[in-house]
Amino acid sequence: MTVSSAPPRRDRPPPPGPVEPFRFPSYERVRLANGLTVVAARSRRAPLVALALAFPAGAAYDPPDGGGTAAMTAALLDEGTDEASALEIADRVADLGGGLATGASRDVAYLELEILRHQAADALELVAELATRPTFPAEELERQRRRHLAELLRRRTDPGRLADEHLTRAIYGDGPYGRPILGDEPTLAALGRDDVERFHRRGYGLAGAFLVAAGDLEPSDFFAAAERVLGGLPGGEAPALPDLAPERPAGVRVVVVDRPHAAQTELRLGHAGVPRNHPDFLTLAAVNGILGGKFTSRINLNLRERHGYTYGASSRFAGRLGPGPFVVRTAVATPVAGAAVREIVGELERIRDEEVDREELDDAKSYLVGTFPYTLQTVSGVADRLETIVVHDLPADYYETFPRAVAALDRARLLAAARRHLRPGELSIVAVGPAADLEPQLRELGDLQVETPAARTPTPEPVPATPLGPQA
Amino acid sequence: MSPSPPVPPLDLPLERHTLDNGLRVVLHPDARLPLVAVNLWYHVGSKDEAPGRTGFAHLFEHMLFQGSQNVGTNDHFRYVQQAGGVANGSTWYDRTNYYETLPSRFLELGLWLESDRMGFLLPAMTAEKLEKQREVVLNERRQRMDNQPYGRAIERLHELLYPVDHPYHWPVIGYVDDIARATLDDVERFFRTHYTPRNAVLTLAGDFEPARALALLDRWFGEIPAGPEPPAPPQPPPLATDGERRETLPDDVHLPRVYMAYPMPAYGRPGWHAADLLGTVLAAGKASLLYEDLIYRRQIAQDVSSFVYPTELDAALVLIATARPGVDPREVEEAITAHLERAVEEELPEARLARARARVLNDFYVATQKLDSRADLISHFTTLFDDPSLLADEPARYAELDATDLREIAAERCRRELRAVVTVVPRDGAEDGDGPGERNGA
Repeated sequence: MTVSSAPPRRDRPPPPGPVEPFRFPSYERVRLANGLTVVAARSRRAPLVALALAFPAGAAYDPPDGGGTAAMTAALLDEGTDEASALEIADRVADLGGGLATGASRDVAYLELEILRHQAADALELVAELATRPTFPAEELERQRRRHLAELLRRRTDPGRLADEHLTRAIYGDGPYGRPILGDEPTLAALGRDDVERFHRRGYGLAGAFLVAAGDLEPSDFFAAAERVLGGLPGGEAPALPDLAPERPAGVRVVVVDRPHAAQTELRLGHAGVPRNHPDFLTLAAVNGILGGKFTSRINLNLRERHGYTYGASSRFAGRLGPGPFVVRTAVATPVAGAAVREIVGELERIRDEEVDREELDDAKSYLVGTFPYTLQTVSGVADRLETIVVHDLPADYYETFPRAVAALDRARLLAAARRHLRPGELSIVAVGPAADLEPQLRELGDLQVETPAARTPTPEPVPATPLGPQA
Repeated sequence: MSPSPPVPPLDLPLERHTLDNGLRVVLHPDARLPLVAVNLWYHVGSKDEAPGRTGFAHLFEHMLFQGSQNVGTNDHFRYVQQAGGVANGSTWYDRTNYYETLPSRFLELGLWLESDRMGFLLPAMTAEKLEKQREVVLNERRQRMDNQPYGRAIERLHELLYPVDHPYHWPVIGYVDDIARATLDDVERFFRTHYTPRNAVLTLAGDFEPARALALLDRWFGEIPAGPEPPAPPQPPPLATDGERRETLPDDVHLPRVYMAYPMPAYGRPGWHAADLLGTVLAAGKASLLYEDLIYRRQIAQDVSSFVYPTELDAALVLIATARPGVDPREVEEAITAHLERAVEEELPEARLARARARVLNDFYVATQKLDSRADLISHFTTLFDDPSLLADEPARYAELDATDLREIAAERCRRELRAVVTVVPRDGAEDGDGPGERNGA
């Protein structure tokens, strides 16, 4: 193709070239005799491998009175095994580039890393050892307990966190998606070593687990390695998924969290959405693209560019095993907090009342399809998609057919999905900022309560005079 | 030294050209995904501002998304997102960057958008747009700094480490009063002075044919006038050497946090990479010195972290540690200081260096997976050193360092009399109103 030597026409965008085909990387999937699901994809853009091992052991599986158990169990995985102490594990992780992350989300407990390819076999051995043979030493539990208690204190002064946590509580109450992931002071104080061991026994069986790899590897080699490292272990029984749906609210609830000196107000609006594998999830992704998923979405252009209320505003449907939250997030100047909430609610109503413009729909669709390869540039990006397929039990060709599924969306489907799944009359609204300024602005929106973060702050516990470590 | 691991060098084919108007362009073809990253660096940042007029480079960056002669207000994002691309810009001490990653068939769209605002910006600038973006930026400052716990610590650390007339003294986002002062005349003057082809580097990374891409670059950018010679870079005054500068900053926090900054050589100067590796040995991950001692054994800290600014003028090694409840932050600070002093007295064990090198190497390959990250690094090396190929040499810079190099940089720079320390502490009686350390800008 030649390039014209004439000066370019600048008064309209130059036309694009022909569509280039793009395919989601092919992947293979096996199930070991003990029930472990293993998936692997080859993606040779860098000399790296992304590894992830996930278990049905996220915070949603916490015992009803044991908030923080899943987070504690995951935090202790790399603090002692039958072969290595915490510091020895730290050295082994560092030898492998130091990128290991362990933790618990709402749905799963995970161990994951991106690693140079020649170290992938060692990394698999290490991850398997940490997940299946942790010893939960009592002194490490004490260390992590103190750390998590201090983290609770730290979060209580973080306005964004406070807003997220209060919204979660308002939507899900004491249910599995409502309890704080880290737990709170009473549940952390009561958490014993036997609780952690029991939780591990129940949730970390291989029968319910997923091992994912993507990158510079041969899937068949990886399956052989997985069989060698994990195939001989017992599978156990996968725990049943708890009932994750919250009670449906009677009306709009407003929670003001008082921070008298705040320079700004953090706002959250939300309600329960749909599970990741709900047939409407993709349609809702398109609805959300128009509503609040990108810079040019209605909510951001309204609040930021039309009104200058904020640096940014966004919304999303979280993809979870159960009905994860639909949340609108922003931070605004306090005097306009009430006006900003009304604009957001107005946008939610508008997208339920009338079909979106044809151009908006086309934009949302091309954005979903066009940015798809962008999310697959990294080995962890590919691994994340594989994990989504297996954890949420999506069709094996979900991402292969994704562009076609997006192309099939139309305005009527978006409107129907918006009407079914956006419920402005059931919103929880959280504002973190000076209550004296916020209450008059928000009072008329619904049932309003004021909370003080400081009221829940305990006296900091003294640190022991003698460190508990093996060598002080 | 440990044997070098069997990792292939970064695959980095490069072509470097200069258009007639002085615009430097770098082409990095990589056809493995149908994407192209367009990355444009203007060599102007907050360092080019003057005291009393801070925050302008960043406010100006916002204005570059408000349209140009042929692109409507907010249509920049609209065109990019319609195409299935992502876009943004950012301002830093040394530079301002603008970038899009697009499906490769939309390469020309990216060139049209960037050339329109490089060559034809001013007709679209209005006082009304400036007012709106001033509000957005003031909200950005509140969200990122003033309403964040510990949010003003880094700003204060810079004010203490760098003298008042040093280009890194003030925060990139600027002070509230200065942001309020910016006018439409400033927009025009700033544009004419700094946003010229010869003050910019444009990198393309991704799926394109280099000869055609170069022709397209010439077509879209070639007709933009070269403009005046870029202003001479600011000449920073020397940093203070006559004693530690420190301040306690009360804030709405429960856990005190210590911020320590030691002056370091500019990025690319001898010693910078040693400082970075020293910071990694000290504070990166659970096998680091400070994690082991302060968090694991003594349990006086909640977290530790460190970084070295990759700046073209005086850099700094910054160490940050949050104290546990009930722990005097002074104890945390002295513990960190003791480790630095030990790093001067005796060489660090090779095992620690080897682990730090392994982390740096892993991080390098992880970070360079994305076309937009690679393009941004290429623009960085071209802007600072006029040599994009230096990017591929980065792992070697760390591999060749030994314990003596780390000891030397620590001995030269990690000294009490050179450093600045900011300690954020819980405000007494958080309900009592502004404490003595309260600052609202300069």
